[in-house]
Amino acid sequence: MTAQAAALTTEVTSVPDRYREATIRDQVWLFWCIPGFFAVFGLVFVVLARVMPPPAPGKSSAEIIEFFQAHGFTIQIGFVILIIVTGLFNILNGLMTVHLKRTTHGKTFAYAFLFAQTVGVTPGLLLPGVAMLAGALRPERSPELLVTLYDMTFLTFVGSLGCFVTAYIPLIAAILLDKNKIFPRWFAYVSIWNLVTEFVAVPVFFFRDGAFAWDGAISFWVDTAVFVVWQNAILIQLFRTINRQPPGMAYPD
Amino acid sequence: MRSIDQIICLWVTPICAVLIVLAFIFFPGFMPPMSPTMSETEVAEFFRENVSAIRWSMVTFNLFDVMFLSMFVVAGVQMKRMATPSPALAYAFIGSTASVVTLFTVADLMWLVAAFRPERSPEITVLLNDMAWIFFVTPVGLFASMCGFLATAIFLDARPDPVLPRWVAWLNIGAALLTLPSVLSVVVLSGPFAWDGVFSFWLRWIVFAAYVTLMFFALRNAIKRQDAAEEAIA
Repeated sequence: MTAQAAALTTEVTSVPDRYREATIRDQVWLFWCIPGFFAVFGLVFVVLARVMPPPAPGKSSAEIIEFFQAHGFTIQIGFVILIIVTGLFNILNGLMTVHLKRTTHGKTFAYAFLFAQTVGVTPGLLLPGVAMLAGALRPERSPELLVTLYDMTFLTFVGSLGCFVTAYIPLIAAILLDKNKIFPRWFAYVSIWNLVTEFVAVPVFFFRDGAFAWDGAISFWVDTAVFVVWQNAILIQLFRTINRQPPGMAYPD
Repeated sequence: MRSIDQIICLWVTPICAVLIVLAFIFFPGFMPPMSPTMSETEVAEFFRENVSAIRWSMVTFNLFDVMFLSMFVVAGVQMKRMATPSPALAYAFIGSTASVVTLFTVADLMWLVAAFRPERSPEITVLLNDMAWIFFVTPVGLFASMCGFLATAIFLDARPDPVLPRWVAWLNIGAALLTLPSVLSVVVLSGPFAWDGVFSFWLRWIVFAAYVTLMFFALRNAIKRQDAAEEAIA
C-alpha cells in the first residue's frame, strides 16, 4: 500500500460524525457557481461599466464629465448586476476555507484568508461601485466632485492592496507548510506572483500617466494578466481538491 | 444554560435592535425618507436645521448597528452543527454577514460627516448624503447571498431532527427576494424603487425587521434544542 493510499484509508475510517453524508454534492454545486460569478464579473467590468480596461487617470475634467455622461446608463446596469451577485464571491471563500482547514496548519490560516477576503469586498468592490454610481446618478454635479468620484472609483478598485496581501500570505503559507498535500504546490507559486502584483500596484497612487498609472502597462495590464492566471489556477486546483477528497470525511472544526 | 455564549450573543441583537429602531425614528431623514429629488438648497437646509437630531440618532446607530453581527454569528454556529456534507456554506455565510454590517457603518459615517460641517458648500453635502443613501439601501446582494447560503444549508441538513426548521429556509428566501428590488434605487430618482420609495425603503426595512425578529425566535429555539440534546447525552 502506498503512503497516499494509507493516508486515505485512515481518513475514511475516522468518521466521528455519523450525520455527515458521504458526499461532496454541496461543494460541487457551489463550485460551479464560481465560474458563473467570474463571467458576470468580467461582463460587468469590461463591457458594461467600462472599468476594465480603466480610462486614463490623466483625463481632463471635461473628459471625465463626458465619461460619466456617455457611459452613465451602462455603468448603472453593470453595477446593479454586480451588486446583486457580489455575495457569491463568498462561495469561493467558503470552499477555500473548508480545504485550507484540512492543511497541517490550516486552522489559523483559513480564518485569516476568509476574513481578509471578506474585508476586501467593501473597499475593493463596493466603494468603487458606490463612487461610480454616485457620479452616474447625477452627472450634473460640479466637475470637481465628478473628478473626485472618478479618482475614488479607480484608486479604491485598483488600490485596495492590504486586504489581499493579508489574504494571500496565509494562503501561500498554508500550502507551503502543508504535509497533507491538500493543495498542489504550484498553486502556492502562482499565488506568490499574485501577491507581488499587489506591491506592483503601489505606484498608482503616485503617477497619473505612464506604465505605473492605474491604466498603465505594468500596474494594470501585467497585474491583470497575473490575476486572470491566478483566477483560473484557483478554479482548477479547487475543482481537483474537491474531487480528490476522500468521501465521507470529517472536516476539521 | 450550557450554551450561555450563544444566548448572550443572541440577546445582544434584540436589545440593540430596539435602540436602532429608536435612532431611526429620531433620524429626521427617515420619517419620511428624504427624496432623491430634493434640490441642493433643500438638502443643505435639511442638514443645517436638523443638525443635532441627525448627530444624536446617527451616533446611536453607529454604536449599535454592527451588533446584528452577534445574532448572525449564532446562526453561523448553528449552521456548523447542521448535517450538511461540508461546512462550506457556513463559512460563506459568515463572510457575507461581516460585509452586510460594514455597509450600515459606512452609510452612518457618511451622514455624520455631512452633519459635521452643515455650512459647507451644498453640492458636497448632497454628495455625502447620496453616498450615505446608496450604501444604506443599494448593496442588497450581500444580504441576499447570506440568506441564500443559510436557506441552502437548511435544505441540505440531513439530521432527522433538523437544526433549523424548513420554514426558516423559506423565510430567508423570501427576505432575499423582497429586498433585492431596492438595488434599483441607484438608477431611478423617483417612484417605488427610488431610495425613499415603497420597495426600496418601506418594504425593504419592514422585511429586514421581520426577518431579524423571526430569526431571533428560530435561533433561540435551536439553542434550546441543542442544550436539551446535549443534556440528554451527558
